[in-house]
Amino acid sequence: MGDLITTLMACHFIASVGAAEIRNLKTATLFLLVQSLLLSFIIVAFAEKSQNYTLYWWAALTFITKVVIIPALLWWHIKRTEFIEVKPLVSFVVSFIILSVFLIVFYQMIRTYVGFIAPTVEATIEPARSSLALAFTIFVLGLYVLVVHRDAVKIIIGLHLIENGVHLALVTLVPKLPVTTILGIVSNVVVAAVMLLFLTESIYKAFGSADTMKLSSLKR
Amino acid sequence: MVVTINPTAVSILPLLVFLVPLVFGGLIFALGRLGKIFRHGLALTGISLTLLIAVMMTVRVLNGEVLTWWGNNFYVDGLSTLMELAASVMGVIVVVYSMKYFGAKTEIEEAHPYTSMTTYYGQILVFLGLMNWTCATNNIIMLYVSLEFTTLATVFLVTFHWNKPALEAGYKYLLLVTVGVVFALLGSVLLYSAATPFLPVSRVLLLTELGTIATKIPSNIVLLAAAFMVVGFGTKAGLVPFHAWLPDAHAEAPAPVSALLSGIVIKVGAYALARTISVFAPHYGTIPLFIAILCSISMIVGMMMAMVQDDLKRMLAYSSVAQIAYVIEGLGMGTYLGIYGGLMHLINHTIIKGLLFLAVGAIIYSAGKRKISELSKVKFKMPLTAFAFFVGVFALSGMPPFNGFVSKFTLFLALGEAKLMWAAIIGIITSLFTLVCFFRAGYKIFWSEKEVHAVGAEAATATEVPAAMWVGMVLLAIAAIVLGVFPQIMHPLLDSATKCVLRILIGG
Repeated sequence: MGDLITTLMACHFIASVGAAEIRNLKTATLFLLVQSLLLSFIIVAFAEKSQNYTLYWWAALTFITKVVIIPALLWWHIKRTEFIEVKPLVSFVVSFIILSVFLIVFYQMIRTYVGFIAPTVEATIEPARSSLALAFTIFVLGLYVLVVHRDAVKIIIGLHLIENGVHLALVTLVPKLPVTTILGIVSNVVVAAVMLLFLTESIYKAFGSADTMKLSSLKR
Repeated sequence: MVVTINPTAVSILPLLVFLVPLVFGGLIFALGRLGKIFRHGLALTGISLTLLIAVMMTVRVLNGEVLTWWGNNFYVDGLSTLMELAASVMGVIVVVYSMKYFGAKTEIEEAHPYTSMTTYYGQILVFLGLMNWTCATNNIIMLYVSLEFTTLATVFLVTFHWNKPALEAGYKYLLLVTVGVVFALLGSVLLYSAATPFLPVSRVLLLTELGTIATKIPSNIVLLAAAFMVVGFGTKAGLVPFHAWLPDAHAEAPAPVSALLSGIVIKVGAYALARTISVFAPHYGTIPLFIAILCSISMIVGMMMAMVQDDLKRMLAYSSVAQIAYVIEGLGMGTYLGIYGGLMHLINHTIIKGLLFLAVGAIIYSAGKRKISELSKVKFKMPLTAFAFFVGVFALSGMPPFNGFVSKFTLFLALGEAKLMWAAIIGIITSLFTLVCFFRAGYKIFWSEKEVHAVGAEAATATEVPAAMWVGMVLLAIAAIVLGVFPQIMHPLLDSATKCVLRILIGG
């Protein structure tokens, strides 16, 4: 079981970097879908390992919202707009090198000093330790996407990476979350995503571009 | 200090206070298109019922009860009722004001397929319901969930005009606050996991249990979680450097919505900080210091940015950045006087900023302009609006005998007591510059000689607004004066709210 979780987490990481870095928005959305799918697999694996069946709720809701609803909406949006990303601030090669070096160092750092984030004994044993390090790494990757990318669709992808990171941390650290709370968090994410996409589309219509850098008429 | 443990009473009121506005909001969405009478009638009934429930809860809380429902998952104490009462009162004023502010023109001609008066009133009611939920919940994760929902409920109010600036402001508001608040979730998760060894599973998520574990969990976790929460809830409150969304959103929204945003929505962030950070502040000297530094920067930046604005609404929005810093500075100190002053300024700022945004809304309604340079060419025959505006200006800058003076003075005393004199001095300087900035604006608009460029032409004249609009402003202005002269009126509620924070702090 431990090996399976490690493999899933490695794939989750690769899919996250793909969703963040691939310039074709359709492919990036597919990577986001795979990333979320792997997240729900990881949650299922955790549930089986710890015999904690409330986690199935998490997995099911993650599947419905992040694998089905949100990628479908994103796809639908991209189909009607442009599928090549607005050029980000950093070029692909540079971004890729920065990211791979930085993320690996960051991951190792969190994994070594995991006690700083979670003092409990459960957090320091595998696979919680790696999972926590991965969660924070994905979180930072999402922040990087928000800072560097200019395309509105990429911004939404970045927001989802951040949220997936936090949710992975939540699953790892607080596995016994009540179902009502899980429902609250997940419905929150869906409503925010739908509203953001709706606004993105309205902005695309009003400004004729998906470049968020052009949203500066109010800046002062 | 003796802090008595209040008896808890199971009551349906904490549930009703957010279900009633939510149900009425839903009814407006369903029936609002049938006609103006439905929209206005439902909105007024819903908000009045909410106010009634809030008053009933306040009376019971002041009698020394704590209302709970569903175990301890809903928990209404003095602090919750303080917030819910303020929100309901502002809600009534804003709904009444909106009925005239959006003239027949907006209701019919400018109605966009996505925004109409139906969605407008519906969203205001839904927002108030979610706001009351945030203040009634006792679950740290649900606090995040409901707080984020209050953002989502107000986004389409910001984009109401559906033009380019409004869309841009709404997009920034939604994106930045959502990302920011996720940090608060991460902080909550860290606290939660660190608390699990010390508490039984059923109680570990409760905000009221934070005090019992405040000294038990490792200090590095507390500081990390506190930093995440300050970022998260600070974004919601609009503290510098997480304030980028605030001036856009508050300036581009319709004026009554701005009054709601500056008066109530940003206070939710302060409320969440009071529930979380204030509990840890007394045990860690670095937290009050960190918050004092952040808030002082907020005051300076907010005040300086307000000085250079020509747009009245942006000026008010930037001043909200400075004023919310006073509130959070007080709440972050973790002492009785500090929390008391912070909560007092929270209520006073709700009154003052609501008043000022409504007054500016009245100016825009009559003159059709927002820029000070353009307004200075218009002749104003609006005595009530001018009265309300100047009361707001003096109260905002903390001049006696207005309410802003009392709360700011309390805060400065608390800062002095906490050996943070430099922060008090920055606060005083900010207040003085606020006076200069807003008095200048008021002078230019209402008093200065109106230059007329074309020979023989008369300056455009703006006349007083309808009664539905000025009644709310005058009531708020009177409240600002009365609470300045007799601050003891608010004392029982503020004292109860402060003790609630402190009771959680000592664990009970």
